[in-house]
Order: sequence, then C-alpha cells, then structure tokens
Amino acid sequence: MRLGRYTLTLEPRPTLSPLHAVLTAILAIFVALALSSVIFLRSELGALSAYRVIFSYAFANPNGLFTTVHRAIFLLFCTFAFLVPLRAGLWNIGLPGQVYAGALAAFAVPFALQAHEAPSPLLPPGLTVLAMVLAAAVAGAALAAFAGILWAKLHVNEILVTMMLNSILFWFVSYMIKEGGPYMGATAEGESFLLPDALRAPTVLGVPFTAMLAVGAAALLDLFFAKTTLGYKIRAFGLNPAASRYAGINPVTLPVLVFVLGGAFAGLAGYHNFAAIPGLYKISGNYGYYGDLAFYGIISGLIARGGAAAIPVVLLFAGLSLGARLVQGQLHLPFGVDYALLGLLMMTFVPFLILYRFRIALRLAPKALPQISADVPEA
Amino acid sequence: MKAGTGRVRRPVPAPAIHSPEGSSIPGEPILSARGITKRFPGVLALDRVDLDVRAGEIRAVLGQNGAGKTTLMNILFGLVQPDEGQLYLRGRQVHFRSPHDALTIGIGMVHQTRKLVAAHTVLENLVLGNPGARGFLNLARARREIGELCQRYGVVLELGARVWQLSEGEKQWVEILKALYRGARILILDEPTSVLTPPEVKTLLTGLKALVSDQGVTVLVVTHKLPIVMAVSHAVTVLRSGRVVASLRTDEATEQILVRHMIGKDVSLRLTKAPVEPGRLLLQVEDLSAFSDKGLRALRGVSFVLREGEIFGVAGVTGNGQEELAQVIAGLRPTAAGRILFDGHDMTLRSPLARWRLGIGYIPAERAEVASIAQFSLVENTGLNFHFDRAFSTQGFFDYARLEQLTERIVDTYDVKAPHLHVQAQNLSGGNLQKLILGRVLSRKPRLLIAHLPTQGLDVEATAFVRGTLMETCSQGAAVLLISEDLDEILALSDWIAPIYEGRFAAILSRGEADAETVGAMMAGLRSEEAGAP
Amino acid sequence: MLELLTRSFEASTILVLAALGELISQRAGVLNVGLEGLMLFGGTLAFITAQSTGSYILGVLAGLAVGGFLGLAHGFFSITLRGDQVVSGMGLWILSFGLTTYIGSPYTGPLGMERIQTPFGLSPFVYLAVILVAAAWLLVFRTGPGLAIRSSGENPSAAEVSGINVAAIRYLCVTFGGMLAGLSGATYTLSYNPVWNYNFLGGWGFTSLALVFFSMWNPWILLAGASMFAAMWQLSLSPELVLPGILSRYIWRTLPFVTTIVILSIISTPWFRTRWGLARPEALGRPYAKE
Repeated sequence: MRLGRYTLTLEPRPTLSPLHAVLTAILAIFVALALSSVIFLRSELGALSAYRVIFSYAFANPNGLFTTVHRAIFLLFCTFAFLVPLRAGLWNIGLPGQVYAGALAAFAVPFALQAHEAPSPLLPPGLTVLAMVLAAAVAGAALAAFAGILWAKLHVNEILVTMMLNSILFWFVSYMIKEGGPYMGATAEGESFLLPDALRAPTVLGVPFTAMLAVGAAALLDLFFAKTTLGYKIRAFGLNPAASRYAGINPVTLPVLVFVLGGAFAGLAGYHNFAAIPGLYKISGNYGYYGDLAFYGIISGLIARGGAAAIPVVLLFAGLSLGARLVQGQLHLPFGVDYALLGLLMMTFVPFLILYRFRIALRLAPKALPQISADVPEA
Repeated sequence: MKAGTGRVRRPVPAPAIHSPEGSSIPGEPILSARGITKRFPGVLALDRVDLDVRAGEIRAVLGQNGAGKTTLMNILFGLVQPDEGQLYLRGRQVHFRSPHDALTIGIGMVHQTRKLVAAHTVLENLVLGNPGARGFLNLARARREIGELCQRYGVVLELGARVWQLSEGEKQWVEILKALYRGARILILDEPTSVLTPPEVKTLLTGLKALVSDQGVTVLVVTHKLPIVMAVSHAVTVLRSGRVVASLRTDEATEQILVRHMIGKDVSLRLTKAPVEPGRLLLQVEDLSAFSDKGLRALRGVSFVLREGEIFGVAGVTGNGQEELAQVIAGLRPTAAGRILFDGHDMTLRSPLARWRLGIGYIPAERAEVASIAQFSLVENTGLNFHFDRAFSTQGFFDYARLEQLTERIVDTYDVKAPHLHVQAQNLSGGNLQKLILGRVLSRKPRLLIAHLPTQGLDVEATAFVRGTLMETCSQGAAVLLISEDLDEILALSDWIAPIYEGRFAAILSRGEADAETVGAMMAGLRSEEAGAP
Repeated sequence: MLELLTRSFEASTILVLAALGELISQRAGVLNVGLEGLMLFGGTLAFITAQSTGSYILGVLAGLAVGGFLGLAHGFFSITLRGDQVVSGMGLWILSFGLTTYIGSPYTGPLGMERIQTPFGLSPFVYLAVILVAAAWLLVFRTGPGLAIRSSGENPSAAEVSGINVAAIRYLCVTFGGMLAGLSGATYTLSYNPVWNYNFLGGWGFTSLALVFFSMWNPWILLAGASMFAAMWQLSLSPELVLPGILSRYIWRTLPFVTTIVILSIISTPWFRTRWGLARPEALGRPYAKE
C-alpha cells in the first residue's frame, strides 16, 4: 500500500524471540486490563478497587484460589488441544465437542461397570478412575481424528467439520443426561448421575491429580516440539507441507496424528471438568457454559504459543472470569461481567497476535523511471 | 457441451514466405525499441536491446530460456517498466503504464501461460474487460461482432464451449481473437507452440500467415524453437543473455547459423568428467509415462538405464516433461504407465520415504518452495533428510546436537556463506541455499542422485563447485540423473545425453556422439532419431 | 405445520443472507471463514441500537454498517497485505465472539419491542432475501461487472491483463459480503429470535459457510439448500410433528449438523470433486500479487 513515497507492508517477522513474545503478551495484558476497567467505571468501587477485589478473590482467597486453579487446568488442556494441530497448520476449533466426548466417555466407564450406584466387583476404584481418564482421552482423540481423516484424505475443511461436531456432541450430551437419557441422575433435573466417592479423582494438596497431568504436559509440550523427531515433523508440516512431503513425511498420517493428540487433550479437559473438580462430579445441566469456555483455549493458545507460557495466561483468564463473577454480585453489575472481561481480553489480544507474526514496515518505494527524451531514430 | 472446432479457414491463399521479394507489404518500422535495459535483483535481464518490427511482417524473437525474450515482450505490452530505453510506435515515442495503455494503442499479447478463465465460455472470455461490457452483458451483440471478426480473419470458434474443453490450439486462437477483438494490429505471441501438438502448430502457423498477409496484422513471435522460426517468420532477432546478438531476414538464415547465435560459440568445456568404468546396473526406467498437474500427458514412454559411476544428462527447455520425470523417479508423482527398477527391484509404487531409505537422493529445482523450509534454520533444514535416520533419531528424540555438527561440516565443506547455523534458510542467497541442499542430500551418501536444474541462477564459482561435486559423487560409485537446460553443463558432465522434447527422448547419445549443435537442435525439436537403449 | 413452514422460511433467511454475501465475496476470490463473527457483531449492534433508539431501521443500519466495516478490515488484511485469509477470518471470529460477549451482556434478554409487521405471515427480511438472491444472480451471471467478479475469482491474472482492477473488485465484494452478514445477524436478533444471549448464533455462521460450498456458488441453489437446511433445523426442533415418538428430540437436534458433514464429505470425494471443483472459483483463498 503506497503512502506517498513510501509503501506500507506487513512483512512476516523472521523470528519471534521468546523475550519479544513475553513482552508483547505482557503489554497486551496491561492494555486489556486498562480497557476493561471501563466496565467498573460507573460502579461504587471504581476500577482499581474492583480489580483488587477480583484478584484477591481469585488468588488470595483460599476458596477462590482453588476454583481458579481448577478452571485454569481445564483451560490449559484446551489450550494444548488447540496448539498441537495449530503447529501443523490445522485449526482444531472442535474443542467443546471433544470436551463433551471426553466427559461422556469418562462417565461411560462407571456406567458400563454398573459402578455408579454401588462399588463394582469388577474393577477396584483405582483402576476404574484410570479407565475413566483413558476413556476420556481416547474419546476426544477419536472425535478429532474423524475430522483429521476427512481432512487428510478428502481435504474437507477442518474448520467446518470440527464446528459441526461441536453442535452434534452438544446435543448428544443433552440426550444422555436429560429426559430419561442413560446417564440421567437420580434427581431427574437434567443432569447426569453423581460420581460416587470412591470414583472421584484423588486430590493432591486439595487439587485433583489432573493438575499434575496438565502442568506436566505444559512442561513436556515445549520439550516435545523442541526435542523430539515427531515434534520436528509436525513443525515442518505446518510450515511447508510440500517440502515435508518431499522429505518423506507422510501427508496422511501426520495430520491425523496431530488431531489425535489434540483431541486427547480436549478429552482430558472433559474428564477434569466433570469428574475431577471437587464440588461437581457430574455432568451438570449447564454443561454448555463449560463447553463455550473451551473456546478460550483458542485465544490462550494463540497468545502463549507454547506449553509453559500458557500457564500464566490461563491462570489470568481463569482468575478474571471467577473474580469478575464475584465482583458482579458485590457491585450490582449486570450479569455477565465475567464474559465481558474475557471477551475484552480476547479483543485486545487479537491485534497483538498480528504483531507476533508480522511487523509493519515502512519502506521507500522504488524510484520512478527518469523520462529520457530522444529524437526519432532512423529506420 | 461440444468442444470447439477451432478450424482455420483461409479465405485467400498467402504468398510464399521465402520468396526473394519477401511479403508484399511496405517495410516501414511500426514498432521500435531503443536501448531497452531491465534489471532484476541480481541479474541484468536486458542490456541495451534495440528492436525494429516492420509493419505487416512476422518477426521471430529467438533465444534460450533466460535470454530475456519474455521480459522484452512484457515491456512491449506494458506489464513491466524498463529501467532505461524508449519505445516508439510509428516513429512516435510511447510509454505504457499498464497493459491497458498497450491495448488501447493496438498492441495485444498472447502469453506463455494461458490467461483465460478455464471455467467460462469462449464468448465470456472474449468479452471480459472489453470497454463495451459495462452494464448488462449484451451477449447477442457481442456474438454478432465476434462472428464478423471470425469471418474476416478466417477463424472458426464455438463460442458457447467452455475453455477447459478446448484443446491447447483452440485456446490459443481464443486469446488471439480476444486481442483482435480489442482492436490489436500488433500481436505478440510468447512461446505460442510450447504446448501444441504438431497439427495444432500447423494450424497456428497457417493462420498467422493469413492474418499477416490478408489483414496486414503485424506479429511478433517469441520462441526457442527453430522449426517455428524457419516456417513462419520473415525476420528473426536472436537474443542471448539479454543482448541482441543477431538480427536477420529468415531467408538469409539457416538453422545452423541460428543455433550458433542462440547458444554462442564460446562453449566452455573446462570441466570435463573423466570417463568411468560403468559399474552395476542401478536404475532401469521402462516406458515411463506420467501426467502433469494439469492432467496433460507430460511423459510419453521414456526408457533408459543408468549404471553406477555414470551421469545421465537430460537436456531440454523447461516444460518438456523434465519436472514430471524427476518427480516420478523420486516418488512424488504417480506413474501413468511403465516401471522403475532400482537395483533390480521394482520400486514404482514405493513412497518417497522408502526411496530416501533405499539410497535415492533428490535435489528439486524449486529450492525455496520444496527442497527447503524457508522459516527453518540451517540446522533444521538439514534435518529434512535425516529425521528418519536411526543415527539421528533415537527413542523419539531428535539429536539436534549431532545435526548441528553435521550442518557445520556441510557449511564448511560446501562453503555455504551464512552468519551462523541458526539463521533462517530464507536469509541465504540462492547459491548458498543450493549448496546447503546439495551438501545435505549428499551427506546421505545416496547411490542415485536426481539433480534437477542444480546450477540454475548460481554464479560462476558456485556453479563450478556444484558441478565438481556431482562428478566427485560419481567417482565414488554413485550415479547421477542430471536434468538441465544448460547445454555446457550437460555436455561437460554427462556420459549419456538424452535431449527431451515434448515428453520423449529425441535420442540417447553417448558422450562421443554428442556435440552442441546436434543436442541443441534436438532440444529445439529439429531432429528426432528414435534411439534404443544403450 | 404452517408454523413449521413459516419458521423455516425465517430461519433460512438468516442463512441465505449471510451465505449470499459470502458467495459473492468468494466468487471474487476472497474467503472469509469468520462469517459467524460478522453475523454476531451485526446482530449484537443491531439489537443494542434498536433497543436504545426504539427504531428497527436504525438497528438494521447499524448491523449493515458494522458488517461492512469488518468485511473491509478482512479485505485490507487479505488483499492489500496479502495475509493468510483463514487466519484473518478466524481472528475476526474470535474477536467478535469476545467483543460481542462484552458489549452485549448488559443487554441480555428480550428485545422488548413491538414485533415487526409480517405481511402474509413472513417478516420483510424473507422477501428481501429472495429479492437479493435474484439480484445477485442477475449481477453475477448477466452483467459485465459480474463477469469481472467471476473472472477475478477464477484467474485474477487473466482479469488483470484484460484491463480489470482485481483489487478494487475484491474489496467491493468482500465489503458487500460483510454487510450482508451483518444484515443476517440483525435479522436474527431483531426478527427471528429477538432475545439477546451471548453467542446467540451457536454455529450458524459456519453452517452458512458450508452452504456456500454446497451451493456450488450459485445463488438459486443456495436458496434451495438453505431452505432445506432450515426446514431440517425446524423439524429437529419439533420432530413430533412429523415423526412422533421416534428417537429423543435431542438426537433430532443433531440432524442438520450430521447432514452437513455428510454432504461436505460427499462433495469432496474424487467423483464429485471434478464436478464441484469446476464450479469452485479457482483462485479462492489465494493472495493475488500484480506482477
């Protein structure tokens, strides 16, 4: 685009140093928080006090902290579910669907073993829990793999397929837990059966063991992409599928594999949210809220771009959404302040994302030709 | 829908082209260029080119790939601006800011790659962009006007046919007619026969002659093919490396003279491959056929064998099936027919990965798009050929340290100029990138190396280095399939030379049998001996 | 039953409007996968404007304006900056998802205005949609500019050498497409279901996108496809009208989405690909650089 003597272009940024990434992220967070203070302008507390209340509840209050951490773990799994296919150049926006699939599969284990009412003689509780975790991962992986296979073999747009699957799974969950569906709980209030004590996720320091899984995955994910051969192949495919094919990377198995990995993470998110968070232990009637929350995994994945970097981001998201809910009640703000905050965060981050990948450059336009006059030459 | 017929009717017989008086049209220059110079990053495409085209003549512009022909035509059509020089139309200086200006003045161009919308009908393509097509399409009137035009120029076209249904020859006529419908009196044709079958070529040439003799249209034909020049042009300008080396009347020229101008007398044979005792039979290609991406037959029954220690040189202008040949042997394109045997085993259906493992190395022509990943570092690029290697990939971990050592060795040995090993590949110059790729592939110690245009765009030093490396590989017992446009290179390095033209080997010549003129002529489609396998 | 039909038409209008805009944009070669975002934004802003000013007209205009603006932004990124069109579209979706959640949350709840007049039982948007389909068909297939649009999407280089300003054409089409998407969202929140809730579309934008692919880029087929999908959707809401007692109503709700996946897969198989592939604008999604 020409601006007088200069041209304005968006050039791909050659390298993104980790320092640069972190600085940009921090700047974006500050801008976002500054902008969102608008929400609290008209309240009695004022923006700064409102933020103090939010953060102190989310991180200082023991109850609040636990809830924040639980939510952060959920978001962390979702982030990975989006990140792995993204590194291969594929958009897995089927996170909610895969979360639901994971939840359904997890609850299918006790259901199948008839263990949801009384302890089952078939499997000791410990193994049952393990089976639940595995089932959740497999279910999420299978659902994502479906989209992956369609893409790899038929080049069906993965965005559309995963989005459709979201809706399909959403209604399937309703079927399972409402109106006489197989999972319907004793209360018949449109939610699933409650997990018996024995099958609840064991906790460590008050936090379910899924936290270890998530944090472990965060650490391993960066290592995975940096150090392993498969991580290398995924990166290569994401940057240049033609060159990858030249190099002998299989153009069908690799995309399916990344979807399997992504889906597995989302499935684990489903297990964690419904079977591991203390106080829930069932697929609640408002499961859709958690499904939509999964979308925030996309934005945190785009900001953090990596495993370890995702942890502070999801903590921030989780804390803000929880604290805002609380503050909303205290400040008599309209419903949905938590959504508002998260939404605003999303909005401010997206332009910064562009700055990750591109830099705006003003370059001198090539000079115009000098006009040389000459006499008409002889033939 | 029926495909177009595309027949050409000549309403009036044309006079002989080679008659001593020439054509019966006054020889006044209608289009002239003086001192045209054009620079692209790193290369001087055109160097003070002068050109005179007389009204009503067919002038051929002849030269090898890279000689500057297309650039010159793009300047004449207003697609590209010259850095220096002027253009004159009927003696008055003109300046084209875009094709629109050229079209308005009456210059039309038919490009090397089809600029037609394949999914639309002939009529829609003809009407596209025409000043008359502003509001509602009056297709009926357009049909009438075009019908008159067809009558006048002696062209027959089915206006309702979809362009993708047409043959290449018919598509060409659509583009020509489109230019004429826009009012072109000067027609530029860039490599018009490169995708035509012999009968279509005949139709085209006859039609061009009729256009010129009966209608007074002036035609500029850009080509590398000698038969075309001899058959249709009144005058020919030969370009070599951006300069005009000759400008003569066709009836004063012979094929030999033109070939010599085109290729140049200074064929440097400084680097020559020492003849090697041929080893075991390594590669056998039997009757190989394949389709191009567009679905056309690109390879038509190619057969040859290659022994250890030999270099087999496939010489030809890009677009005659070389790309497909390289890809089929590398496993990146399926065969339509035929077999490939490596070391006696049929590997026609094996995957690219399997072929790398078998010891086949491939250096594609597209360095930046296929052979390397621009955003990867040098070390990571090396990994492209080693990710499946047990020595580098143990228990799932990629040994980057070892990869780095290897890359360092490659950078040293192959003199790759880069600030450090972790710089991105896209920051390397073409020559250095090619050296890196070469070093990387050769580090696998392949038994068969497919090198497609290995020295294209490289400077003299890098070129000599690459050629030397190829020869050294052979002396260590490997075999090389060299696919190149550079005649010097082919002649200097190859033990066997196969000029490729339109998907077939014109012949398979041994080193002793081949010389520049013979091979050059075969590359241009002049002579075609059906040679059996050696 | 009549109720089912009228609701189907209303629902299909929303799909048709958004998909039609995208169809024109895609015909020119620009792909916008963030259609859902533009619809969300259009609907939200239309809702807020209408409720605040009490005027439906202003609401519709607001929806058109914001849709056009977002379409223009997408165009800038895709055409001038030659960025990846999928990235831009996804970015727009995420942006809109978040921003509308924020902006709209105070307005959660019913519109609270008098329902729009419904001549012959159908809202004016339905008639508007049909008129637009006809107009689009005329424009794209029967006019010079339409030929220029189609050529820009098939072979921009051929269009350029024929004297057409490909960039200008693409900008016009993507902005217009955005406006229609905004209008579609406005139709949803002002007429079809005048209650605001965050993410009120629940994926309909993506369905519209899929419909564009199904329609082979022909406005009439698009209308037919959207109508069928909408009918299926309404049926899935109340299956007891046609097939009482069979399968839980939740399973029925999945029907439209399952069908979409199936059709998407079918048209991607090799046999269909050749036919469908011919209808697809060849240069769709590819940045064009004037040489």
